[in-house]
Amino acid sequence: MPGAAGRTRTGRRRLAGYLVRALTASPLTAAAALMVAAWLLLAAGAPLVAPYAPLQQDIVHRLTPPSWTHWAGTDTVGRDVLSRVIYGARISIPVGVISVSLAVVLGTLVGGFAGFLGGPADEALMRATDIMLAFPTVIMAMVITAALGPGVRDAVIAIMIAWWPSYARLTRGTVLSVREREYIDAARSLGVSPARVLFRHVLPNAMSPTLVLGTLDVGQAILVFASLSFLGLGPPPELPEWGSMIATGRNYLHQWWLGTFPGLALLTLVVALNLVGDGIRDAVDPRLRDR
Amino acid sequence: MRLARYVVRRVLLLPVLLVGVSVLSFVLSHLVPADPATAFLGQRAAGDPVVVAAFKHRWGLDRPLPVQYWIYLEGLLHGDMGTSLSTRRPVTVDLRERFPATVELAIGAMVLSVVVGVPLGLFAGVRRRGIAADAARAVSLLGVSTPVFWLGLMAIILFYAELGWAPAPGPLGLEVTPPPTITGLLIPDAVLAGQFGVALDALKHLALPAAVLSTYSLGSLTRLMRSTMIETLTEDYVRTARAKGLPHWSVVVRHAARNAFIPVLTVMGLNFGNLLAGAVVTETVFSWPGLGQYAFEAASSLDFAAIMGVGMLIALTYLVMSLLVDVTYAFIDPRVRIG
Repeated sequence: MPGAAGRTRTGRRRLAGYLVRALTASPLTAAAALMVAAWLLLAAGAPLVAPYAPLQQDIVHRLTPPSWTHWAGTDTVGRDVLSRVIYGARISIPVGVISVSLAVVLGTLVGGFAGFLGGPADEALMRATDIMLAFPTVIMAMVITAALGPGVRDAVIAIMIAWWPSYARLTRGTVLSVREREYIDAARSLGVSPARVLFRHVLPNAMSPTLVLGTLDVGQAILVFASLSFLGLGPPPELPEWGSMIATGRNYLHQWWLGTFPGLALLTLVVALNLVGDGIRDAVDPRLRDR
Repeated sequence: MRLARYVVRRVLLLPVLLVGVSVLSFVLSHLVPADPATAFLGQRAAGDPVVVAAFKHRWGLDRPLPVQYWIYLEGLLHGDMGTSLSTRRPVTVDLRERFPATVELAIGAMVLSVVVGVPLGLFAGVRRRGIAADAARAVSLLGVSTPVFWLGLMAIILFYAELGWAPAPGPLGLEVTPPPTITGLLIPDAVLAGQFGVALDALKHLALPAAVLSTYSLGSLTRLMRSTMIETLTEDYVRTARAKGLPHWSVVVRHAARNAFIPVLTVMGLNFGNLLAGAVVTETVFSWPGLGQYAFEAASSLDFAAIMGVGMLIALTYLVMSLLVDVTYAFIDPRVRIG
């Protein structure tokens, strides 16, 4: 069936083609992809790469500046900053990916139903989406995290709840277009149930823009999570999370290394993710390219 | 006529959306597994059921949720957003005190992002390759990728702690007496009161947080201006202007740039709403006594009324700006009749 493009061998090859095209389109995108790969490797290999354990304290050498024994200095209880930065990737990267993935799934379902069903269901779901979009995202995430309690899991839930509306909106738009295609009519006339039409034919062909947006948003999700941690609404402070490490730097302005290195880690990762996301978007639809 | 119908439809939809936002605020504030009694009374007092019951009765928290919401909605219609658990004052009073500081910060950030972003985007759109294009791309990428709270901290460390160029975080110096309140905005109030020294001090304190807050908006405006300039320069009327022999920069500025700026203008309206919401982190870093800091304190202490008040106010501002943007765009471009 021509509509199930995402699920056929041709469809999978096409998606792989987009990815290859994205990564080879420009040296900058390729370099960004290497940077992302480097961070993934660092996160995976942190126990092997980090010179110290992230929770290992050395009170005697607390707040020492960068040196040969501690390349990024030590923090308020003598923990090695470089090791904590490396281990921090093991928290930030999964949080970004998981929270966006959950938001994409939820948003796709809501937007898919709204666009496919149309009528009062569409109106109701889209007005609910409008209301969610009108409410300030950061404040919503803050309130949910504060109420559920600080922690990685609850921050992920908060980000998912705050972000699904934009994916719902986007998916609904593309579903409205896809549902009018001939192969959908063909499926219906063959007696395929509406649920099967939606999940096997419409959604797989309507999801590309949503997936592209999701890819672009992983970096932003990591930033939002770091912001929540900075405000004290993330994981416990002893865990090596970049946002809370930067927050510690606020109270030690002359110990510049406390906030600088976690921030640089965050910046390099998010820039790389955004560049890769831009490359994927340009490969999927060259009209969207920033000329 | 079609425009009038479109405007009326959008205006009529506004109260519906606001009621929806109030329901969402209420749900967010209440249907979570956390008890404000524990947050406010402390562990010891919260262990005493008599004290907890008295606390809940005092603040109406022992009533059924639909009744609590109805009481809240009735008050809202009379301009009463309830009383803050932490400040013990009406939320509307707190918001009236805090909102101008955030507006002033957002205006400062918007001005900076327009003054820098629009010319940079324009230049990069005209010269599509070269230093300007690279600079525009770098600015837009870094603008959306840089963690604002980190940038703020780095700015404080560099310009305040190390170089001593910037004043201490806060809206005014400790030794400076605030001007009499006229608009609620420090700089205009100081100027209107003839206190130019105070105005200058306030401007110095505003510069760094506004610059930090402007980064995301700067990035997005630069990118958009460049993109619309490139599109506009390919239009037929621009080709005609060139064919008539008009000087290059006359074509660019008088013909292309004005039209390219229209979508940017509409996005600026939306960005302002985003700046208000995004000021939370910046205000925390710079100890700025605005809505963002109030929201953070309210969220941390589960101050339901304050949380709902902040959410409603920012949502209202965003919805009004969004309506103005859509109507302006529909007025300017008759092809657009969104909704």
